[in-house]
Amino acid sequence: MLDSRRDTDVSLPRVLLIGVDHRCAPIDLREKIAYSEDEGNELLRSLRASHDIAEAALVSTCNRTEIYLLPHREAEAYRTGFERVFLQRAPEIEGEGRFYVKRGHEAVQHLFEVASGLQSMVLGEPEILGQVRRAAQTAEEIEASGTVLRRLMRGAVAAGGKARNDTSIGSGAISFGYAIVDLARSIFRRLDTCSVLLLGAGETARLVARNLLERGARELVVANRGSQRLEEFQQLFPQSRTIAFEDRHRALANSDLVVACTAADQPVLSRADFKDAMSSRKARPLLAADLGVPRNFDPAAGDLENLFLQDVDSLEQLIAQNLRKRRDEIPRVHEILDRELEIFTSWYRGLAAEPVVTQLQKHIEQLRQREVAYSKRNFPAETHADLDRLTRALVRKILHHPSTHLRSNNSLDYRYLEAVRQLFRLDED
Amino acid sequence: MDLVLRIAVVLLPLLYVLVAVGYGWLFFADHKVPRKTARPLFHATLALHLGYLILLGIRWQQFPYATVSQALSATAFAVAVVYAFVEWHGKSSSTGFLILSIAGLFEVLSSLLRTPNPPYREIFHNPLFSTHAGFGLLGYAAFAVAAGYGFLFLRLYHEIKRRRPSVFFGKLPPLEVLERMMVGALVTGFIALAGAVVSGAVWAEQVFEGAWLSDPKILFTIATWGFYGLALTLRRLRQWHGRQTAMASLAGFGAVLFSLIAVNFFLTDLHGFH
Repeated sequence: MLDSRRDTDVSLPRVLLIGVDHRCAPIDLREKIAYSEDEGNELLRSLRASHDIAEAALVSTCNRTEIYLLPHREAEAYRTGFERVFLQRAPEIEGEGRFYVKRGHEAVQHLFEVASGLQSMVLGEPEILGQVRRAAQTAEEIEASGTVLRRLMRGAVAAGGKARNDTSIGSGAISFGYAIVDLARSIFRRLDTCSVLLLGAGETARLVARNLLERGARELVVANRGSQRLEEFQQLFPQSRTIAFEDRHRALANSDLVVACTAADQPVLSRADFKDAMSSRKARPLLAADLGVPRNFDPAAGDLENLFLQDVDSLEQLIAQNLRKRRDEIPRVHEILDRELEIFTSWYRGLAAEPVVTQLQKHIEQLRQREVAYSKRNFPAETHADLDRLTRALVRKILHHPSTHLRSNNSLDYRYLEAVRQLFRLDED
Repeated sequence: MDLVLRIAVVLLPLLYVLVAVGYGWLFFADHKVPRKTARPLFHATLALHLGYLILLGIRWQQFPYATVSQALSATAFAVAVVYAFVEWHGKSSSTGFLILSIAGLFEVLSSLLRTPNPPYREIFHNPLFSTHAGFGLLGYAAFAVAAGYGFLFLRLYHEIKRRRPSVFFGKLPPLEVLERMMVGALVTGFIALAGAVVSGAVWAEQVFEGAWLSDPKILFTIATWGFYGLALTLRRLRQWHGRQTAMASLAGFGAVLFSLIAVNFFLTDLHGFH
């Protein structure tokens, strides 16, 4: 699986990635290799203790587990990493196409894409950036990452942040809950002044409630026919208030947002119910989201003034539209990632150039000192200090441009460093 | 100075169009170029416009609304200032493309209707008349802004209501905010127009002794003012929702445009500025 050729080009980071994600492994396999924070810390410490691995960082979410390694010896580091992170927990992972391995630039690019949400199951989902940030912090705190991986992880977080801020890759709702939140945000000045009436207490209702409360809805009133589900709901959301299902009409007049997700085969709110509620609300708008099939709200209510009635079809249409917009943003995200990758690669090249530059400066300084010591006898003693100053300045000026150029990374690749080493016989020092 | 003024007459409408295009580009495509340039260009245009109006006043030794062209330019400036305040206060540039298009339209009309030598009118040195004209321009600018927000409100309202969210959904401020901006502009315009009507009536009574009451422009302006008053009252009584108020702001602005241009040109002697 692992290509055993060595990177001879020092302009590419020697990062090794072994990973499993939603594309190549089913959920029962991903569950086995998902690491809690403590488990992840322990794993990173053990990897870092290995003689084959210089640095390590772990990204573990419900959809992916990825280990990033900076190896001392690549083949050995691969074996150690693969065995400890994946094989020990799920031996069946060795099957064809169940995991992926990436090296160097490809691995770095992959991490940047992960942080920006391009590799996520839900394109552009926001949680992954926080998860990569936490992975970076953890690796730093327990000193599993060093100079290279620390910079790489921080670079990925920065790239993900820019992709999110400068493009619309994460904008627009792509779930029912967030679609309702988006609609509410297009109508009401502030969500935290909105009162929500939720009809139904099942799984869909819980997802919607979670989304609305996360986004700061002021009040959540829940009505359900069955009392057991209602109790379970209130245990999950203690901030919610429950009412009898028969009281829903009265509650409607005081709500800004009503969401229905019941299994009723007849509308639970008729046009007349909405009309009554709207007349007592005066000019306040009402958003009514019907997630039921068959529909829970009478569709005829949609013509009432200031009532914004949405159903499953219209919400799905909104989600599909947002997904299309996100896909359209992919090229712009790639432009940002390319720029950020260049910054990281340039930094890494500079890192590789630094020992050569130091060696070159040391070599020339030794030559200078030797020649000055030899020549001093030909000059009067009172000029020795001037001689020293003059040659020092001369060397500094001669070396300034080559040193800057080697560090600048603009045109640098391995051949420049090799040329300097050979021309000045640095390896013989 | 005349050369500078001539250049400004050409440059200002072009700049307003450019600014409106920049804000439109920002709104529809959220591109980094307008994100960096649209606002500075708008502020530069605003500064240039202010300089132009000051130079105009100095050159002709009277307030710069002696002709329809000058009045339109001053109204465009007032619209742009109102928008600059809204943008600064609301920290949102999402409505700029439309409001600044209105300012741009006024400025283009101003340049097209420009007369080379505006007449010297003694009335423009009368403080009461200047107050009347100043209030009038402020009122028209506020009604233009209200119409802009009314239009955006209706677009967003229908996009959500008809369950066909498209370009405006998710980019504009919420309906409640648009309504608040629209009503704020309507109230400002209504008060300013009231000031214009009252100060104009007092001045006209001194000069024309009752003859002014038959002037079509005055009658039309009072009717427009009454219409806005009715709309605000109905909204206050909660009889009208945001949608009706938005439609009223558009209808009212249509009347304002008619009053500002058509009535001035064809129907009146008193407000003809000839």
